Amino acid sequence: MNPRLSICLSLYRRLASAYPHEFRMLYGEDLDRLGEDAIPEVWRRYGLPGLLRLLADIAIQLPATYLTEIRQDIVYALRTLAKSPGFTAVAVLSLAIGIGMCSVVLSECQSIEGPPPGVRDPAKLATFVWSQVSYPYFEHYREQHQVLASATAFLGLVPFAVAFTWDKRAHAERFYGHLVSPEYFTTLGVTPAAGRFFALETERPGMAPVVVISDRFWRKHLGADPLAVGRALRLNGSMATIVGIGPKDFLGAWPGNPADLFVPVTCAGSLAPELSGDPLHAPDREIFRIVFRLAASVKMRTAEAALDAVTRNLDRENGIQHDRDRKGRVVRLMPAGTVMYITPEQSALVDTFDVVLWALVLALVCANLASLLLARSSRRRGEIAIRLSVGASRPRLVRQFLTESVMLSLAGGLAGIVLAYGMGRAISSMPVPSEIPFEYYFGPDLRVLAITLAIALAAGIGFGLTPALSSVHTEIGLILKEGAQTPLRGYRRFGLRNLFVVGQMAASLMLLLVTWYVVAGFLHTSRLDPGFETAHLNLISLDPVRDGYSAEATAALLTGLSDELSRVNGVRAVSLTDTVPFASMAAGRANTRMSAPSGDGKSGQVLHSAFRERIGAGYFAALGVPLLAGREFGRRDQQSDEPPGTKGASAIPAVLNQTAARELFGGEDPIGRSIREGELNYTVVGLTRDVPPGFLSAKTVATMFIPLTTPAFSENPAQRATILVRGTPGRDTLAAVRRQVASLHPDLTVFNVHTLREDIDRMNAFVEWDSAIYIILGLFALLLASIGLGGVTAYAVVRRRKEIGIRMALGASSRQVQGLVMREGTALVLVGSVLGLGGGLVLWRSLSAFSDVLARSFSTSASDSLFLFGAPLVLAGLAMLACYLPARRATEIDPVTALREE
Amino acid sequence: MSRDPQDFLPLHNNWFHILLSLVGADQHGYGIMQEVLERTNGTVRLWPATLYGSLKRLIADGLIEESDERPVAELDDARRRYYRLTRLGRTVLDLECERLQAMVRMMQRKRKQEAY
Repeated sequence: MNPRLSICLSLYRRLASAYPHEFRMLYGEDLDRLGEDAIPEVWRRYGLPGLLRLLADIAIQLPATYLTEIRQDIVYALRTLAKSPGFTAVAVLSLAIGIGMCSVVLSECQSIEGPPPGVRDPAKLATFVWSQVSYPYFEHYREQHQVLASATAFLGLVPFAVAFTWDKRAHAERFYGHLVSPEYFTTLGVTPAAGRFFALETERPGMAPVVVISDRFWRKHLGADPLAVGRALRLNGSMATIVGIGPKDFLGAWPGNPADLFVPVTCAGSLAPELSGDPLHAPDREIFRIVFRLAASVKMRTAEAALDAVTRNLDRENGIQHDRDRKGRVVRLMPAGTVMYITPEQSALVDTFDVVLWALVLALVCANLASLLLARSSRRRGEIAIRLSVGASRPRLVRQFLTESVMLSLAGGLAGIVLAYGMGRAISSMPVPSEIPFEYYFGPDLRVLAITLAIALAAGIGFGLTPALSSVHTEIGLILKEGAQTPLRGYRRFGLRNLFVVGQMAASLMLLLVTWYVVAGFLHTSRLDPGFETAHLNLISLDPVRDGYSAEATAALLTGLSDELSRVNGVRAVSLTDTVPFASMAAGRANTRMSAPSGDGKSGQVLHSAFRERIGAGYFAALGVPLLAGREFGRRDQQSDEPPGTKGASAIPAVLNQTAARELFGGEDPIGRSIREGELNYTVVGLTRDVPPGFLSAKTVATMFIPLTTPAFSENPAQRATILVRGTPGRDTLAAVRRQVASLHPDLTVFNVHTLREDIDRMNAFVEWDSAIYIILGLFALLLASIGLGGVTAYAVVRRRKEIGIRMALGASSRQVQGLVMREGTALVLVGSVLGLGGGLVLWRSLSAFSDVLARSFSTSASDSLFLFGAPLVLAGLAMLACYLPARRATEIDPVTALREE
Repeated sequence: MSRDPQDFLPLHNNWFHILLSLVGADQHGYGIMQEVLERTNGTVRLWPATLYGSLKRLIADGLIEESDERPVAELDDARRRYYRLTRLGRTVLDLECERLQAMVRMMQRKRKQEAY
C-alpha cells in the first residue's frame, strides 16, 4: 500500500476511535470500514488534497459530536432535575444562601481592608496606630529618606462651608475635606485628572488660597464643568481657586470617610479655622495624621524602629512625654493602604472570625449537598442499571451525573451571586449613624465570590461524581434482579451518610452558638439605652466661624444664644455643648490623662485614659440626667475671664461621672477634691450618673466635664457648637427655635437638626441590622441541618422499604416501625449535638482569647443559660421533626406492595 | 409523537441526497456515499464523518431507520448496517421535491415574462 495511504488510514482510525462511546457503538465499525473503502478511491480521484479533506472532515465532526452529546446530557439533566423539584429546590436554595452568605460575610472584611480607590501601590503605605502628631514632628519624619520614600501630614475630615458664587450672602453648603501637606498627592501616588496638585515649591505661606476638588465633587456640584480649573469657590467665607481635579473614584487617603476638598496646610487660618494659632510651628499641637510611603524594600518593622527613634529624640528636645507601649515603643505603624485604617491585630481578628464563619457555612452547604446527592444517587441505582444494560457506556453515565451536579452547582451559584449583590446593596444603603460622611460601599468581593463559587462547584462535582463512580461499578444483574433495592442490609453505624449528618448537626450547632453569642452580646452591649427621655431632646448644630463670624463675635453669639432660645415658647431647657451625647465618632471629645493628687502632695491615683468634655451651663438639666451629688455648672462658670490653660489660674470646676470618681477616689466622696490634668487644676463640684458612652462600646468611660467657657470658643474656633434644647411634648419646639434663630441671626447656618431619639434609633437600627445578618446565618445553619437530616432519614426509609415491609408483614406495629426509624435519627442527633456543643465552646474560647470585644460579648451571653441549653434543644427538636416526617411515611408502607416490588 | 414534515423544510443538502439515495432500495453507508457521488457526477461527496453524523441525526429525527431486510445473499455485506426511508422521511422528501419544483416553475415564469 502507498505509504501516504497507510499514514492517512492510521490517522483516520485514530480519530475515529476518539468518537464518543455511544456513537462508536452504533456507527464505529461502519465509520472505520467506510474510511478503509473510501481512502484509496479518494486518493485516485483527488490525490493528497482529497486525503486531507477526508481527515479534516473527521477531525471537525469529532468535537461537534461531543457537543451534541453534552447538549443531550444537559437536556436530560434538566429533565431529571425538573422531575424532582423538591430535591432541586432544596439543593439550589441551600447553595444559593450559602454562597450568598459567605460572600457577604467575607466581603464585609474586604470592604474595610481593601485598598482605597485611586491610590498607587497601597501596600507600601503606613500610618501611626491611632496617634496624631504635630507638624514640626512631621517635618522631621519626612526627612527619614533611608526608610521612607515620602510622607504627608493631613488634618481631617474638616468641614468647609462652600458657596459657589462670589456673593457673600449666598447660602453655603457643608462639605468635608482634608487640610494637607504639599506631599499629599505624591505620597499617595495620585495624578490629577485636570490641573495640578500641590508641590513644596508652589505651596508656601502667604500664597493665594487654592483648593483641589474630587472628581465626585466636580461632577455633582460643578456639573463636570470643563473649565472648572481656575474657577473660584468660596470656602468658609474666603475665595479659593480650584487648581486641580482628582482622578475618578479618589476620595482621599481614607475613603471610609471620603474627602471632597483638599486644601494645603499653608493656607491662611481664615480659610481653615483648624489652622488658626499656627499649628504648623507648635510641637504640642498633635492634630495631624501622617501617611508614610515606605522606601522600596523597607519593611514596616524597620520603618517603625527608625521613626520611633526619631520620635523619642524629638520628645527629649521638646520636653514632651509620650506613653510607651509594652515593647517600649512610643509610636507604632500600621498599614494605611486600606479603606479604613485597621491595626494588624484587629484585622487578624476580623479575618479569623469571618473565615471561621465562612468555613462553617461552606462546610454545611457542602455536607448538605453531599448527603442530598448521595441519597439521590442510591435511589437511582435502578435507572443506572437499566441504562447500562441497554448499552450506555459507564463514562457516559458518569458524565451524565457530573452534568447534573454541575448544573445544580451553577444554578445555586448564580442564585447566590444575585443574593450576594442584593444583600450588598441593602447593606450599603443602610444609614450610618455618623455626622461626618461615612462611605461604606459593600459590594460582594469578586475574589471571595469566585472562591466560594469554585468550592461549591468542586463540592457539587465531587459529591456528584463519587456516587456515580460507585454505582456504575456495581453488578448490573444483581441490582436488576433485586429490584431497585440493594440486598437487605442492616443499619450501618459509621456509614458515610451518617457521618455527614453528625458533622452537619455539629457544624450547624457550632455556627448557631457562635453567631448567637456574638449577636446576643452585641445587642446587649451596643443597644443604647440612655436612661433618660430623648424624644423631645433636640440637637441643633451651629458653626458660626464658618459662617464668617469672627472669634469674638462667635463667643458673643454663643453666650447670648442660650438666653435667647430659652425664651422661645415651649423650650424647657437649653444648654450648649461641645460634644453630642453618645456620638462616639464626634470630634469634640478629648482623650486625656488625669491624676488625683493625694494629701501629701505626691501624685496619687492616675487615670490614663479618660474623656474630657466641655459642656455649657444647665447641661445635665437639659439632658435630664440628675446629679448624684454637688452642683452642675451655672452661667458664672461659663464666664471665666481667664482662658483655660493659663498657668496658675484658679482651679476650674469639674463634674465627674461615677466611673471617673470611683477610679480616682475609690469610695470616697469626690466633691471638693482636686484633680490635675497636665498643668491644669480642677476642683470637683459635682458627680453625675454614668451614661453609656456611645455606639458600640460596652464600658462606660471615666469622663470629666468642664465648663464650656467664653474664651474656649475663641481658643478653638474650629469647633462647632451644639445646642441641646429640651422641648415640650406635643409642641413643635424645634420649628419655633429655628424661626427664632433665623430671625435673630439670618446669616447663621443651622445644620444637623434632629432629636436625640432619632440619633439613637439610627444607631440601634444599624446594630440590629448587622446582628440580623448573623442571626440569619445561624437560622440558615439550622434550616440546612434539618434539611440534611430529613433527607438522610427519608432516604434511609426508602432504602429499607423491603425490611420495613417484612417487619410489618410479620406483625410489627406502626409504632414499632416508627420507633425503629426514630431511634437511629435520635442517635445521630445526640452525637451531633454533643460534638457541636463541644466545638462551639472551643470556638468560643479561642475567639474570646483573640479579642476583648468578643470575650465581653460572649461572657454577657454565656450567662444566658436559656440559650446555652435552648439552642441544642431547638435544633434537636427540629432535627427530630425532620426524622419524624419520613418515619411516619415509613409506617404507611403497604407490606404487600413493598414485597411485590422485588 | 411524529414531527410535522414541514418542520424539516428546506431540507439540508446532505440530507436531501441521503434520502434520495434511499428511494427504492435500502443502502449502507458506503453505498449511499457512492450513489451520491455517481448521481452528482462527483460534485457532491459525503465525507465519512459527515455522512454518519447526518445518518445519526436522520435516525434521531425519524426520517430514516435501520433496515432488517438484507439484499440477496451474494450482494449482502453482513457487517454493514442498512438504512431505509421511513414514511416521514418519504413525505419530507416529496415535500422538498415539490418545493424545489415550485421554485423552478417560479423561475421559468419569470424568464418568460422577461422574454416578452
